[in-house]
Amino acid sequence: MDFLSPDTWAGALAAKAARPEAVPVMGGTDVMVELNLGRRRPHALLDLTRVPELARWGAEDGYTRVGAGVSYTRLVERVGSRAPALAAAARSVASPQIRNRGSVGGNLGGASPAGDCHPPLLAAGALVELASAAGVRRVPASEFYLGPGRTVRREDELVAAVLVPEPRGPQVFAKVGPRNAMVIAVVSFALALDVAARRAGTGIGSAGPTPLRARAAEEFLAREFDWAGGADPSPEAARRFGDLVAGAARPIDDVRGSAAYRRHALAVLARRAWARCAAEVRGGGV
Amino acid sequence: MSTTSERPAARTGAIGAGPRRVEGPAKVAGTAAYAYEYRAADAAYLAPVQATIARGRVAAVDTAAAEAAEGVLAVLWHGNAPRLRTDAELPGLQQPGELHVLQSAEVHYRGQPVAAVVAETFEAAQHAAALVTLTYEQLPHDAEFSAGRTDLATPKEDHRQGDVKAAEGEVVVDQTYTTPMQHNNPMEPHSTMARWDGEAITLHESTQGAHMVRETVAELLGLEQGRVRVVAPYVGGGFGSKGPLHAPTVLAVLGARAVPHRSVKLAATRRQMFSLVGYRSPTVQRVRLRADAQGRLSGIDVTATVQSARLGDFIEEAAGPAKSMYAAPNRRMGHRAARLDVPVPTWMRAPGECPGMFGPEVAMDELAVACGLDPIEARVRNEPERDPATGKPFSTRNLIACLREGADRFGWADRPAEPGARREGEWLVGTGVAASFYPVVPPVGGSRALVRHAGDGRYVVSLAAADIGTGAWTALTQVAADVLGVPLEHVEVRLGDSALPLASLAGGSTGMMSWGSTVHAAATAFRRLHGDDPAPGAEAAADLPEVAHRDDYAMHAYGAQFAEVRVNTDTGEIRVPRLLGVFAAGRIVNARTARSQFVGGMTMGLSMALHEESVLDARFGHVVNADFAEYHIAANADVADIQAHWIDEHDPLVNPLGAKGIGEIGIVGTAAAVANAAYHATGVRVRRVPLRLDDFLDAVGA
Repeated sequence: MDFLSPDTWAGALAAKAARPEAVPVMGGTDVMVELNLGRRRPHALLDLTRVPELARWGAEDGYTRVGAGVSYTRLVERVGSRAPALAAAARSVASPQIRNRGSVGGNLGGASPAGDCHPPLLAAGALVELASAAGVRRVPASEFYLGPGRTVRREDELVAAVLVPEPRGPQVFAKVGPRNAMVIAVVSFALALDVAARRAGTGIGSAGPTPLRARAAEEFLAREFDWAGGADPSPEAARRFGDLVAGAARPIDDVRGSAAYRRHALAVLARRAWARCAAEVRGGGV
Repeated sequence: MSTTSERPAARTGAIGAGPRRVEGPAKVAGTAAYAYEYRAADAAYLAPVQATIARGRVAAVDTAAAEAAEGVLAVLWHGNAPRLRTDAELPGLQQPGELHVLQSAEVHYRGQPVAAVVAETFEAAQHAAALVTLTYEQLPHDAEFSAGRTDLATPKEDHRQGDVKAAEGEVVVDQTYTTPMQHNNPMEPHSTMARWDGEAITLHESTQGAHMVRETVAELLGLEQGRVRVVAPYVGGGFGSKGPLHAPTVLAVLGARAVPHRSVKLAATRRQMFSLVGYRSPTVQRVRLRADAQGRLSGIDVTATVQSARLGDFIEEAAGPAKSMYAAPNRRMGHRAARLDVPVPTWMRAPGECPGMFGPEVAMDELAVACGLDPIEARVRNEPERDPATGKPFSTRNLIACLREGADRFGWADRPAEPGARREGEWLVGTGVAASFYPVVPPVGGSRALVRHAGDGRYVVSLAAADIGTGAWTALTQVAADVLGVPLEHVEVRLGDSALPLASLAGGSTGMMSWGSTVHAAATAFRRLHGDDPAPGAEAAADLPEVAHRDDYAMHAYGAQFAEVRVNTDTGEIRVPRLLGVFAAGRIVNARTARSQFVGGMTMGLSMALHEESVLDARFGHVVNADFAEYHIAANADVADIQAHWIDEHDPLVNPLGAKGIGEIGIVGTAAAVANAAYHATGVRVRRVPLRLDDFLDAVGA
């Protein structure tokens, strides 16, 4: 197994162009586990930990651009207020040690349907920046995922960054599991509101072959949400919103939970998310 | 602590105090070496190759690429591995089929070692192991555990008293309770460093019994026991899985024989812990209770179906504890076993009792509900005067005292009788109780301790006992100091080396009864022989006293566990903010390490209630969640308030120390208490562990 370790972004892209089969490794929280378990044996690893550009973040044209190598810990501590749902998801990942190593880029590269970062990226309308020696493109998160572990990223491309729109309203992330930490989500859900435009964004995790948006629920919420006053929803409206979110999921029965439970819990998380966003609007926290 | 009886004060007060662990500083500083950590200039590393089929034969092995790889010292398979004695007379707890590693082409379970590489480095060994190519003749396998199978075996005749079918009474509880396959996962995996010098073999081993390893390895290799040395002073947990030997130790021994004069190291990976070192069998418990309207039992019928292996029989005796728990004239307890193409099950903390008290203790809760009784009262009404199984009088039985004291401490009196009555915001809150039980296992004879005066009033106490984290280092120091009448710091205990006098295995919670009684006897003999002013170098040795166990009494330890459970009305999430246990386990030698044992057992019981479940894919015969990302074990954040208390129980009949075992009883009953509390919170009766979020969907109105 070859170990490629470029120390510049250009070098990384050149290496990926020359060896498209090389598996990128950043924190190693997924890749190294798979290697240790013998699930894969790539011919080459492309170590990105020495590329300084990947660890950077900053404002860019109404977005916050977060380098693919920014650790979850950094994300929580430094970027939190600019991407609240993403930061909340990052905060819920595994343990402090894993959060010091793992990154959004790795989450996107692995594209597990249970990855915690996907729902906030979907809900916030984030872009995924993909780069190759041939150029750079930005793909909406909603078009990024194709299936378990599969995305639109071409073999010669690397995930360079995510671009999260500046928050324009409350954002929440929630997940359910058999315990509070160190657990793979049974389901997760993110909600991001754009108060000025009166738009809602949703993201569903761990309840389908890919992370999903609940578009009908988004339209319903855009109509029903009390944008001016932040009043709590009526029980009927909250229930309808929950049902629409649950209806958008495509869950399976597995070791972690039944499909029926996943739908139920998604509806609960969706209703809670609405209530929390409404409270934030009422409290003037926007 | 309440006091049920008085006893003469110990001579120095050392017994019953709570001194810190004598080996604690060394462990914290990292200077206490565990088996794999011993530095050896001549170290080599062994990597197993594991079968990818569950049943069949290895048809061909291609080792050429592995042998050609850099740093490889040997590639072993059944065609070239050193021979083990086929007629070895192994101690009864060993599974010969499991230990005859690389001796034939047969594959009996998925994950079975079928080859191994010894190399200069860990990485080289792993790499070369991946280069070994095996071809199999695969045979159909059967790994489907179910109580509905038609080929279940009856390993021994059912225990019968009266006629359980003729039991009368209008109240019937007839339910099936299940517990899953679970895997022992001590912090330190099974580890061996083995070195063969052409004449003798030395093992640094993570084990619950250095002498047991010595005897077994000597038998397997056809060596005299004197040519096998086993060193194991520090062991990072075992929970039973380091009692019997397993395949990794034998692999290391074979590696050492194949590459003499090298220290061959092998530590099971966490993933290998799920295929190579045994597990707790799943159980399906059919429990039938019949009682009168006042809750007095007339019949107890428990049939436990468990999983065993075609390679070797191991019966998880889950129907055992019901034999002795409650009075009823008509009783039957029996086991049925499904012998499958799977690894052989093994001991896991309180084998038999732990799963076997889940079904019956939930059933007792159901009986209480059916009779409109408080669950404590239901148990009190069925308290036997003599041991129901044998008719013998109890040496001591303080179950009711534990229930009463626990009720006081826990605040049981305020409990609403009806389930679902207490709601705090979106949480339903309930409380539950269950009994704990663990027998006083008669210690195996043969243990011997040596006390030597080192001069200046300092003493060295030696025996080969294994402290697997229990606190034996400390408690044995206390026993010796107490009998010798000297301060703790004047006693140095030496453990965990087969060069020291023989000590029984750390198993069945017998350590303190066995080694404690032996040290007690040796220290007593020392003072008798040499008086209070002995010469330097004076020695005395003693064997485990014969009177250490009397056969004319039934001897058991008891406890009562209380749980508070919160179930979220929206999501079904289950939280356990409070566990409280009260135990009656004879004399407590070290209050600090004893509390740690009880609390540790209860934590493991909580883990059983909410988390631990090995999921076997019967199509392939392997555990699919074989890592800590998906096999959850309760950790700090899962545990809130766990309290352990004990009754000051004086039982001079069990042994001179008056100590019963405490290592296992803490895990017994916890899961039932949690399930009973979850019922009380929600009105949903779950008869399976682990409890799942899905289980409470009905209660939350989904």
